[in-house]
Amino acid sequence: MLLNVENLSLSLKKDGSYLKILDDVSFQVEKGETLGIVGESGCGKSMTALSIMRLLPDKAKLEGKVNLEKKEITALSKKQLEKIRGNQISMIFQDPLTSLNPLHSVGKQIGEALYLHTELSKIERKQRVVHLLKEVGLPRADEIVNEYPHQLSGGMRQRVMIAIAMACNPRLLICDEPTTALDVTVQAQILDLMNKLKQMNDMGIIMITHDLGVVAEVCDRVIVMYAGKVVEQGMAEELFANPKHPYTIGLMQSIPKLGERKNQLGSIPGTVPSPKNMPLGCRFADRCNKAMDICRGKQPSTVEVGPNHTAACWLYEEKGVGRYDASRGERSEATFHH
Amino acid sequence: MTLLEVKDLKQHFTINKGFLGKKTTVKAVDGVSFSVNEGETLGIVGESGCGKSSLGRSILRLIEPTSGEIKYKGKNITDLKGKDLKDLRKEMQIVFQDPFASLNPRNTVRDILEAPLIIHGVGNRKQRLEMIENLIGKIGLRKEQLSNFPHEFSGGQRQRIGIARALTLNPKLIIADEPVSALDVSVQSQVLNLMSSLQEEFGLSYVFISHDLSVVQHISDRVAVMYLGKIVELAEVDELYSNPQHPYTKALLSAVPVPDPKQKRDRIILQGDLPSPVNQPTGCTFHTRCPMATAECKTIVPELREKSFGHWTACIHV
Repeated sequence: MLLNVENLSLSLKKDGSYLKILDDVSFQVEKGETLGIVGESGCGKSMTALSIMRLLPDKAKLEGKVNLEKKEITALSKKQLEKIRGNQISMIFQDPLTSLNPLHSVGKQIGEALYLHTELSKIERKQRVVHLLKEVGLPRADEIVNEYPHQLSGGMRQRVMIAIAMACNPRLLICDEPTTALDVTVQAQILDLMNKLKQMNDMGIIMITHDLGVVAEVCDRVIVMYAGKVVEQGMAEELFANPKHPYTIGLMQSIPKLGERKNQLGSIPGTVPSPKNMPLGCRFADRCNKAMDICRGKQPSTVEVGPNHTAACWLYEEKGVGRYDASRGERSEATFHH
Repeated sequence: MTLLEVKDLKQHFTINKGFLGKKTTVKAVDGVSFSVNEGETLGIVGESGCGKSSLGRSILRLIEPTSGEIKYKGKNITDLKGKDLKDLRKEMQIVFQDPFASLNPRNTVRDILEAPLIIHGVGNRKQRLEMIENLIGKIGLRKEQLSNFPHEFSGGQRQRIGIARALTLNPKLIIADEPVSALDVSVQSQVLNLMSSLQEEFGLSYVFISHDLSVVQHISDRVAVMYLGKIVELAEVDELYSNPQHPYTKALLSAVPVPDPKQKRDRIILQGDLPSPVNQPTGCTFHTRCPMATAECKTIVPELREKSFGHWTACIHV
């Protein structure tokens, strides 16, 4: 196992009080595996990534464990962490323009990671930078080394970001919406490149995205997040063929699919609850068309709903509740007593 | 019946380049022709910088087109001025992409919705408020929320307010410029459904501008694909998606990620990026990235031709 995240909770201080942004998030990433984290804005998917990297604001309270290759990294000091960041774990952000420094040449920004984490000489570093630029598929790598971010297009900038992230052959690459700012034809190029790099380097990838299409294209396994909690987890094929949590089902029905025309799209009524007043029970209950009394009173625990497939939903809890009949899309027995 | 007809519309911008202010021209829209029928949705799809937003704005005359002709209900509106232009604006409205930037943060929803009515001198205050209250229910908000400010609403709700504002004057044509791209998928589908039902209720025509091919397919009756200021293909939605002819449309469709891991497709991955509209390639502007390009493509500018009934393509190899 490459990465093991256990019971991760995160609270951020806002207006004098702590707001719980992540609540008991657990997942694993294997070597050579791409894990997708999907969810809508505000569900905590980006904060999960930043918690792993510990790129958090000062007054953040982080609980839980993060193990990288069996080494606990939550307790490390700032200095020790710096050795890991950009070296064993690197990250690619959504907007390649704001994450590159406009004042430094592309070559200098890629070389920085090598300067910090390797013993390479200046000449060796330059060679490696050119090699990296070629590896991420940039044409005229020898010239681009000396160019500045504004001279490159959006797709090329994202390739530079990938080159920076790949500079030290990381074990784990975290990508936060890496293609959201790009056009579809360029997105296809970048996803293609990432697949190639993963095969070459045998690293693990965490792909954070709101786009279920991207998840289906590149991910082996998927976790679905809602309001700071993991609501469903499974292998990509299984999860797309057989979604269990009402939120996942709603999400899948609300995207228009290419080659399929419907008069009305499915939709989820309402909006995501704010962390200021999180419901006591299941956080999706207010928007859920299958909500029962218990859903509003008590949080569901995570239960197995298929092979290597879990969901946190009262519909699947054995005790006290009618069994959920997935083929009929409804519960067979609707009574429940507190 | 044809509601809107656009003929050879050009929208060129002059920009100063460099220290000495050398002037160059950006051909944002370069000879676009199409029509929109009553009650129809025309989707306009393309990547960033292809000129789809400039096109939407020049139809409304929010920016003055360089040349070409725009006909609304058979009447040439390209040179309308003053009161005539103002009257025309009652008929055509726009919904913008960013629901955060397009609503004035200092005004309540009531003020925002009343403004168009005041500008066009519709009714007295009591009648106007009645109209607004009527409208707000149709977009799924409550009357009490009329006194709230934009920041009190979520992105989806704000976009509904933007749509309501466009509807206050009972327009016939709505230009929707990326109306759902700032929204989350579950909210996006709410807004798309709302737009469909409003279209039926009010008999609206939409020009729906978007970069998202799946969304455009869902909402449109006909679709135009744009590349660097030109329409490269235009057809009925089912025809275009099942039988794309232009190599750009083919590549675009094959690049869309499909939410089904079992479906493995042969991708056409285009090389390079969209060329800058300042330095457009000669001949067919797509030849620099086209897998089918030949020497002729560098010199011959392909015309948009009807290859089969209602299916228009601009490529010399089709």
